[in-house]
Amino acid sequence: MVYEECVAHESSWDADEALTAVYTAHYTSLVRLGALLLRDTGAAEEIVQDAFVAMHGRWHRLRDPHKALAYLRTAVVNRCRSRQRHLVVVDKHLPKSLPDEPSAEHAVMRTAETDRVIEAMRTLPEKQRTVMVLRYYGDLSEAEIADTMGISRGSVKSHAARATKSLRQVLEQST
Amino acid sequence: MNDHRDDRRDDSFDELMRRAMSEEAGRIEPADGLHEIQARVRSQRKPVNRRPWVITAGAAMVGTAAAIGAFAVLNDNTKTAEQPSIAGGPDTTSSASAEPTNPPTAPPASPKPTPSDPAASKPPSTLPTSKVRAIEETDLKTPKAVSVYWLGQVVGVKKGPEFRLYRTFNQVTGKPALEALRTMTAPKAANDPDYDSPWSGASVSSVRYTDDLIMVDFERLPNTKLEPEVADMAAQQLVYTVQGALQRTTPVQITQQGRISPDLFGVIDTNSPLSRAQATDVQAMVWITSPENNQTVKQPVTVAGIAAAFEAQVDWRATNVKTKQTVTNYTMTKEGQKFSPFAFTPKLAPGEWLLEVYLTSPEDGRITDTDSKTISVR
Repeated sequence: MVYEECVAHESSWDADEALTAVYTAHYTSLVRLGALLLRDTGAAEEIVQDAFVAMHGRWHRLRDPHKALAYLRTAVVNRCRSRQRHLVVVDKHLPKSLPDEPSAEHAVMRTAETDRVIEAMRTLPEKQRTVMVLRYYGDLSEAEIADTMGISRGSVKSHAARATKSLRQVLEQST
Repeated sequence: MNDHRDDRRDDSFDELMRRAMSEEAGRIEPADGLHEIQARVRSQRKPVNRRPWVITAGAAMVGTAAAIGAFAVLNDNTKTAEQPSIAGGPDTTSSASAEPTNPPTAPPASPKPTPSDPAASKPPSTLPTSKVRAIEETDLKTPKAVSVYWLGQVVGVKKGPEFRLYRTFNQVTGKPALEALRTMTAPKAANDPDYDSPWSGASVSSVRYTDDLIMVDFERLPNTKLEPEVADMAAQQLVYTVQGALQRTTPVQITQQGRISPDLFGVIDTNSPLSRAQATDVQAMVWITSPENNQTVKQPVTVAGIAAAFEAQVDWRATNVKTKQTVTNYTMTKEGQKFSPFAFTPKLAPGEWLLEVYLTSPEDGRITDTDSKTISVR
């Protein structure tokens, strides 16, 4: 993979080169992460772009694509979380199945199963949902989730346990 | 990686979650954002001079609600323009890794290198690909139609760019990319009042390329100052035109007499090459490909075009120029949300008709994008 080869030369990267390389490798997955947290692709794109601009500005301190990715992930998660908190009140007054921003490659239909899971995820408190997205979409370890969210591993564990419990209840009801 | 799997008691739940998340994530295809990010990085680096869109005489952008762009035929070039996966793709990575930053103060290169002369054809030291020899295009044996892009104003903008790229096809001989750019930069560039070129008045001296970079050298860059967003769209106008003619999607390095310009259109630093933005971000959302403007057509009239329309709906209206009689209806593109063809057959009595296609906003029914042609029905 081109990106991995590039990592070998990472020390010579300047901020612009790092931006392009890290963008190419991770932009899509970060937007997807944000969109799963927010259910709003447009807002996720904005947030991820903000994070990239910030990463570019501090590249002289990061100097490492792996650190850059961790930085981006944390920035995206934090920004999504703070945005979500602002949206909670608004969200209650919105129709239940607000359509996501239509995307260009949108023809894919969700399966009923995915629908149920995604709907069930909406019932979770913000922290629990974030933990679940990072765990199952981000495939992050407990330690990584703890770092990203700035909480202890113990809290990650308990959020995950509570989320799992309520998700299973909701999913059983909806079948 | 998965130390949370220490509690393995519920694998089926894990599987379900993983599957649902990845399926949901897979539905999300973000548009290209690199261009936007780079533009913002650029504007942070240097305070942006917020000047209004200044246009030189003879290049007035007419803001008519209807009638933007006239597109002749659509040929294979469409593919390059509508391939979102290329945008900001691996090309930009390889170029980013291969190219050191260029000092802005660099010695001028000979403006017209001849490929047969090694000393002259060696790219100037300022250019990133000193290892690879850049080549020029070969001359066409027969005339060929190349696509040239123009800026057209978008109506009803609430969010997104105020200008988008519209395309014409132009017959050229000689070097296709060079000639396409010369068409784009000609002093009285477009013969349609609805679209324009901020590059008008500039003068291109050469187009060369390597495996991972296209180099466009100007004798003289335009000295127009533009709003940052318009400047970015103008940059994409050049990127789309030159890439279309060369059938390559590698980034484009712009120089003036071999030197990098710190302030193209007053805002763009050409220190790093420009990459291609995604079609949905820059291309016009609806246009008529047939008939052409001022064409005489026989009954029945078939109107064909391309649109990226919400729920695939394209509205159209035909107005008889003399009697003002109007016929309105709508048609569907083959697929919604992405650039996709449409066609319809309006019943029009003999006479001169203004044919308009437009998209309406799903939010509030505003007309958001238009194209029009005047045709004569026999």
